[in-house]
Amino acid sequence: MPVRAVELAEQFETIEKQEHAARLAMWVFLGSETLLFAGLFALYAAYRVMYPADFHQALAHNDTVLGTVNTVVLITSSFTVALAVHYVREDKSRLAALLLGLSVAFGMTFLVVKFVEYADHIHHHALPAGMYTMANAPPAGAVMGQTLYWFMTALHGLHVVAGMIMLGVAAIGCARRRYGRHRFIIVENSGLYWHLVDIVWIFLWPLFYLVK
Amino acid sequence: MIRAHVTGTKMLVSWIALLVLTFISFGISRVGLTGGAELAAALTISIVKTFIVLFIFMHLIEQRFANRLIVIVTFLFIVLLVTLTAADPMTRKTYPKTPDPSARPID
Repeated sequence: MPVRAVELAEQFETIEKQEHAARLAMWVFLGSETLLFAGLFALYAAYRVMYPADFHQALAHNDTVLGTVNTVVLITSSFTVALAVHYVREDKSRLAALLLGLSVAFGMTFLVVKFVEYADHIHHHALPAGMYTMANAPPAGAVMGQTLYWFMTALHGLHVVAGMIMLGVAAIGCARRRYGRHRFIIVENSGLYWHLVDIVWIFLWPLFYLVK
Repeated sequence: MIRAHVTGTKMLVSWIALLVLTFISFGISRVGLTGGAELAAALTISIVKTFIVLFIFMHLIEQRFANRLIVIVTFLFIVLLVTLTAADPMTRKTYPKTPDPSARPID
């Protein structure tokens, strides 16, 4: 069964303009998403400047190896998503579906590793805000560092879940041959969202795991 | 409208480059550079990685300038937001620089 070509909505003159509008809208949305995270990165910068030693203490809870494993997992998932978009454009929808499914599995792997880390933090009482308790009362900056860590990684985790849903829907569409050479903008935009999730992690990883 | 085409080979090379940069970043963090240098190195590598993802994986290299403009504007907003927010505690003349958490305003 051939893939149905995309219909032209009446407000557009050509398919090309319609697809450009869809892509442009996705970029605007990604820009606003980035600014949401930028606010948190700004807080991180300000509090790190205020409490350098306390941040060191807060971030010492994080396992660099697990964080690096997750970085490799997300980068590889970005690669498989990019390949999926490449193949759906060439009308190889089934291969694209397979690659998107693989990317969702990578997303799942990321979340499992993250939950292992969270479980370890809970075990060590390295929790956000007033819940962060240790033998001695932790200094204010360490509490702030730990709160930012939980908030930023959890918000990123929610984005991973949202991205997995989008990729899953795109994968099903590809498997059913609903998307192909003449109809791929949904697959492409889901992919763009997933790459944004990857980019955010590219910055979270050094700030919370590497630089101590 | 398409200026350059992203091929499968370019994606494969980008993926390998991203992994290599990840391990370089990991390696640098093990060397034990002092404070600022370590942070600067890590962020520089992250920015390079972001460019690879943006231009190759997100196909920005083959898109219209309108889409690139959004990335440029977003980047400028982030720089503005982060530098201004961090500039406040960095340039404070109050003493001590780090607020005392037990300090309370007089009722």
